[in-house]
Amino acid sequence: MDTQLIQLTLNGIAVGSIIALAAVGLTLTYGVLRLANFAHGDFMTVGAYLSFLANSLGINIWLSILLGMAATVAFSILGEKIIWSPMRNVRASSTTLIILSIGLGIFLRNGVILIWGGSNQNYNVPVMSALEIGGLRIAYYQLLAIAFAILAILGLHLLLQYSKIGKAMRAVADNVDLARVTGINVEGVANWTWAIAGALTALGGGMYGLITAVRPNMGWFLILPMFASIILGGIGNPYGAIVGAFVIGIAQEVSTYFLPTEYKLGVALVIMALVLLVRPQGIFRGTL
Amino acid sequence: MVGYLISLIIFTGTFTLFSLGLNLQWGFTGLINFGHVGFLAIGAYTTVLLTGDFHVPLIVASLIGGGLAAILGLLIGFTTLRLREDYLAIVTIGVSELIRLIALNEEWLTNGPNGVYGFPLPLEDFSPNLLSKMVMVVILTGLLVLAYWRMWRWLLLRLRGKEQGQLLQNAGLVAGYVLTLMSLLYGVGVAAKNMKEAETFSPPILGLFLAVSLIIVVGGYIVLARWLFPRLQNWHYGANLVSVLGVSGFGLWLYGAGIRGIFDYDYRVGLMLILLLTLALVYWRLEWLVQSPWGRILKSIREDEEVAKALGKNVFWYKLQSLMLGGAIAGIAGSFYAWQLTFINPDGFKPLVTFQAWTIVMLGGAGNNIGTLLGATIFWGYTTITRFILKDIIPLDDARLGAFRLMIIGLILVVLMLTRPQGILGKKEELTLGR
Repeated sequence: MDTQLIQLTLNGIAVGSIIALAAVGLTLTYGVLRLANFAHGDFMTVGAYLSFLANSLGINIWLSILLGMAATVAFSILGEKIIWSPMRNVRASSTTLIILSIGLGIFLRNGVILIWGGSNQNYNVPVMSALEIGGLRIAYYQLLAIAFAILAILGLHLLLQYSKIGKAMRAVADNVDLARVTGINVEGVANWTWAIAGALTALGGGMYGLITAVRPNMGWFLILPMFASIILGGIGNPYGAIVGAFVIGIAQEVSTYFLPTEYKLGVALVIMALVLLVRPQGIFRGTL
Repeated sequence: MVGYLISLIIFTGTFTLFSLGLNLQWGFTGLINFGHVGFLAIGAYTTVLLTGDFHVPLIVASLIGGGLAAILGLLIGFTTLRLREDYLAIVTIGVSELIRLIALNEEWLTNGPNGVYGFPLPLEDFSPNLLSKMVMVVILTGLLVLAYWRMWRWLLLRLRGKEQGQLLQNAGLVAGYVLTLMSLLYGVGVAAKNMKEAETFSPPILGLFLAVSLIIVVGGYIVLARWLFPRLQNWHYGANLVSVLGVSGFGLWLYGAGIRGIFDYDYRVGLMLILLLTLALVYWRLEWLVQSPWGRILKSIREDEEVAKALGKNVFWYKLQSLMLGGAIAGIAGSFYAWQLTFINPDGFKPLVTFQAWTIVMLGGAGNNIGTLLGATIFWGYTTITRFILKDIIPLDDARLGAFRLMIIGLILVVLMLTRPQGILGKKEELTLGR
């Protein structure tokens, strides 16, 4: 295996961790709230831009990303209150919700352009030299993205397995009505789901902005790899989504060794199509 | 002005054709096709490549384009129609992006990002004499009469048995509501335009004024609608009457432009006539189809697949037919899309085009072909008006204005789904909007 392949694999792991951060949120809202949220990528963009807003006011980048995460959480819960909760109460069909999310995505994406303009923005961060190990170059921020993803995933694991709210979320994902009958506060669970999704997605957006640039289309272009990851991992299964994200990220990057770079997205789609053909329920057990 | 109106008719017609395909798939069968633009791309590229390089007759190339689009529907359908319905949304949007990527990168075939141009157009070298001009006028008039006949017949069927006094009163109220809203918005626009030209205020203050006055006007009218319309019995029949009257007047105006265009002929006029004829044909056959037993099966699949299955229908096969037929219609719309732009490149086939069609279908009312026509008219009316007017009113640069217009479209979709998921003409009694 030559160094270029190893290099591409490393890049893929970095991309995969960003997709993983966002895909966990997507799979949770899909599995727990039954919402195929096509605006999820745009939530990521909004998170990245909110961090950019804080950063451009002169705040330190890590604090900015934290602020961006907090603002995205607030924003997601606001969306839950205004849109998703009323729609669930009238028992809107899943297709109505999908179309709604598309409209919301168009609204957010263009709102970002309206406020910040269509051009690329960059965080105000010190330039770090890439680490060089045996001919491999690993950008400092790529390494950080991987580290943060692992930390966030560990935190999520602890939350889901050992906290009361995590158990309640899994119960709601299994069966909403049964969970409600056992006395679980479904609305509270929904808020928590959005909070976790918003925080992780904004973190992913911030990391993606650090590695590449902050663009109005950044999240929208990632929505298909995200869906590919969660279908691969079984919808509603956060661990599956993480594995799926790494598979997709690595496959996309390594494919550039054999194919023109522009077909990266195509690789994700082909993997998704194959999974749907062979094992539509995903590699791991999902909740749907 | 006449030339512009004709371009507008062609644009609206192309998108109506395109959206009729989607309406068959989503409105009648309930298939969430988010990759409709993929069919359009296949149709457009097939037509221009076949006619440009191989000199295939235009109509044959267009039909081949439609056929290939149907085959794309077959391929997508075979892989995903047996799965959950939301998978179809994800797969179709993915496939349409894949097609765009291929068009972007396979330069030997599609000339990549530079696009294809200089391909033959229908009736390009045709210079009509007086007789052929008269024939065109007859064709256009016939189409208008046909459209009016269909529209008024639909209206009368809908209004049959409703009490006349109440109907007229409701129609008056709805008309008053719409007219006062429009004149208020117009007033705000004129005020903003004058203020922008006078440059007495800085752009942020101007923007604030606009936002506040719009919120007051629109908010006030929403409150009024919530208070007023539930109190009126059968108010939507009044709304139907008003909108048909409005559309009739608008149609007459466009007809005038078309007639003037015929006597001042360029190839766009011919294209308009061919497009309108195609549209009429497709509309006619579609209406026939959806009212046939076949169409009723599609509707039953949309409402409850299990019931259709229990009645022994091969649900998968019907869904596949609907996806393929809708795709073929979109493929033929693709030919017109290319002919009207006279230049195509992959940028014209972004997912946004799909969502424009979705806005059209949702706005007019899913499962209603007249609704699709109405939706396309409203959509292109909105696009045109905002393109010309917003520039004078809102203190923003072009890129931001474009973003603003799209934001409104997103907002329309959201608000529509929240408040009236069946669209303007859709029947709530007929659609399953909740579980």
